[in-house]
Amino acid sequence: MKLTWRIWLLIILLLLSILAIKPSFQTGVIVKSVEKNSTFFEDGLKSGEIIKKINDMAITNKGDYAKAISEIFSGNETKRIDIITAKNKYTAFISEPPKITVEDVPKTKLQTGLDLRGGARALVQPEGNITDEELNNLIDISRNRFNVYGLSDIQIKAVRDLSGNKFMLVEVAGATPSDLKELISKQGKFEAKVGNVSVFKGEKNDIADVCKTDATCAGITACNQIQGGYACSFRFSIYLTEDAAKKHADVTRNLTLDESGKYLSEKLYLFVDDIQVDELFIGADLKGQVTTQVAIQGSGTGKTQQEAISDAKANMNKLQTILITGSLPYKLNIVKLDTISPLLGNEFTYLILIAGIISMGVVAIIIFARYRRIKASLALLFTSFSEILIILGIAALIRWNLDLPSIAGILATIGTGVDQQIVILDEATTRETLSLKERMKRALFVVVGAYFTAFASLIPLYWAVAGLFKGFALTTLIGITIGVFVTRPAFSDMIKSIEGE
Amino acid sequence: MEEKKETKQENKEKAEQNKSLYDKYYKLLLILPAVALLFSIVYLYQFNQQNGDIILKDVSLTGGTTITVFDKNVEVNKLGADLKKDFPDLNIRKLSDIMTGTQLGFIFETKEDAQKTKTSLENYLGYNLTEENSSIEFSGASLSAGFYQQLRFAILLAFCFMAIVVFVIFRTFVPSFAVILSAFSDIIMSVVVVDILGISISSAGVIAFLMLIGYSVDTDILLTTRVLKKKEGSINERLWSSFKTGITMTLTSIAAVGVSLIIIYNLSETLRQIFTILLIGLGFDMFNTWITNVVLIKWYAESKHGGKEQ
Repeated sequence: MKLTWRIWLLIILLLLSILAIKPSFQTGVIVKSVEKNSTFFEDGLKSGEIIKKINDMAITNKGDYAKAISEIFSGNETKRIDIITAKNKYTAFISEPPKITVEDVPKTKLQTGLDLRGGARALVQPEGNITDEELNNLIDISRNRFNVYGLSDIQIKAVRDLSGNKFMLVEVAGATPSDLKELISKQGKFEAKVGNVSVFKGEKNDIADVCKTDATCAGITACNQIQGGYACSFRFSIYLTEDAAKKHADVTRNLTLDESGKYLSEKLYLFVDDIQVDELFIGADLKGQVTTQVAIQGSGTGKTQQEAISDAKANMNKLQTILITGSLPYKLNIVKLDTISPLLGNEFTYLILIAGIISMGVVAIIIFARYRRIKASLALLFTSFSEILIILGIAALIRWNLDLPSIAGILATIGTGVDQQIVILDEATTRETLSLKERMKRALFVVVGAYFTAFASLIPLYWAVAGLFKGFALTTLIGITIGVFVTRPAFSDMIKSIEGE
Repeated sequence: MEEKKETKQENKEKAEQNKSLYDKYYKLLLILPAVALLFSIVYLYQFNQQNGDIILKDVSLTGGTTITVFDKNVEVNKLGADLKKDFPDLNIRKLSDIMTGTQLGFIFETKEDAQKTKTSLENYLGYNLTEENSSIEFSGASLSAGFYQQLRFAILLAFCFMAIVVFVIFRTFVPSFAVILSAFSDIIMSVVVVDILGISISSAGVIAFLMLIGYSVDTDILLTTRVLKKKEGSINERLWSSFKTGITMTLTSIAAVGVSLIIIYNLSETLRQIFTILLIGLGFDMFNTWITNVVLIKWYAESKHGGKEQ
């Protein structure tokens, strides 16, 4: 076969696509996030490193990792843990599992969407009209909240829809934090009142610092058995600014002591989003004093003591996060919240692959039965496969998450692609007085015509529905564009060359 | 010169005599699509009167909760019957493995909010729903209503853009109109069948209708190009050649979509709906391209050439 420049272009794009998809045969688990201020974070372990071994146990996948960690930390005592990555070795002596999240090393650069690999997606709409600047501000605060909370593998972006509505789209891949909803939607308006008088609000000009990880000023204070389980309480300190502290002093100065004589007559009430979360006695010695340090308390419950401790820690982390990151100036509504289990993801991917291969096989049989030309039918199959590979290559290159709508888009592209190759094959095989070149030209007219109609019909979808179908629109647009400019011309050259023989 | 004219005249008469039944009565074929289209429009009007819209919408377009629980043992029918009183609008479906037919779990759909649905299901099943054993999707009612409006608008816009492109390509009214009419009929008739089957459309289903626009104009453009631009052969021969090509195109599409539908049937609601709608649409595409569009383009081509076959 004569290799024309069009066929060369197809081959080069094909190779580049394979390069972009970059199949990898590496084993191990990749570190997705390391909690700030944890031992391994301070040792320098970074996300992106590939863990190969833990304490001489070879780690090839997530299952191995989970097994190794649960073996090491079966009891409560401090253990030595050696994490060996592809580049380094990290050692720590800790009593609880390392605060890192891992994933299997991806086999390719292709990223699947939430509906295939599991995760959570929230579409959040601020109440009332907000400006672009306010929306960006909201996104900054939210991102900061997630970071402070210890979640880093999170994507947050602003989206708009055709009606001009503005949303914040939050996507978490893999494991979903159970309190995602609260982290996102809590306006985080913090207020402390003595009696009815507001003393300080969770704003930057009231709170100077929040004790988060220092065990001397933040931690679990006590656990008690209660009906049906355990309750644990936590306490952490916040440091008020001078102004806020003075206000606290002014308010408490005029208060009397209660009957016991140990506390003031009014309590300190804490509110988050106008809901009272705690009430504290104010020690008699604080009357009229300018104190900058205030202790915040709260609790958590669970069926076992361990559960209660975790719950209390999570609640403390939430409250600290909100206090550190400050409140949002408007209420938020979660208008869409999807948490997708990763359970069926692999089966999905496998079945879609099977469906694709069988469909192509059936198409090949029909084409062969109709035209009885083995070379041309093979060329058609080759072209369609190249088209899939090139779309995937571009998806890998622009880091597009392939979700179910995108896959439907790829299938649609292949479908129309095959249709158009049939037009070309058909023109080439008809017996006519017109030259082969002329007939190819006519076939390409049909192809280009169909391309522009399809292109035009996909454009509106790109912006509709807060971008949820962008994946479909984009893959299809890429697919048909590659089709009309690269694969169809190459295919028509292949056919010219085959038929010319 | 005289002689030549005579022969031509003779040929023409011969051709008239040889005119097949098809050539004489083909225009009458238009009655079929006309009746079908009229029926569809009346049906959709009635449907709209009864249901407030021309389609049934699922929770992704009305707002509500979809919970997928991966439970191999629960009796899905019993669960549906038992929870019907709490969720009168509930829609429940089994998930199963295509290869073995074993139950993988079920999908629970209701207009209620996520928290209430989750709690009820947890109480019934006796265990907590976590990301290990379930997926939960919730859409707010006003957002979903907004989405539906936008999707409808996107389809309308897509259709208009397609129509403009078709006019630009062919630059003549009748052939362009024929292409647009058959695309329109494809969609309308598919909507009717989807309604008759009682399928509740999800947002992905609406996308399938948009994909139909792309699929259906392919064969119409091929047909119109062959009949109008091809120089050789009679109009009937050109129609026949494009029919052979077009039918191969549609059959390969139907085969590919059909196979995918069977494989994905019990696993992905999204893809199942997209493939079902495409399959219905492709069926109507054959009807509308090879009857509606063919008759119109043949009529146009013949009248343009003064009734002569070129």
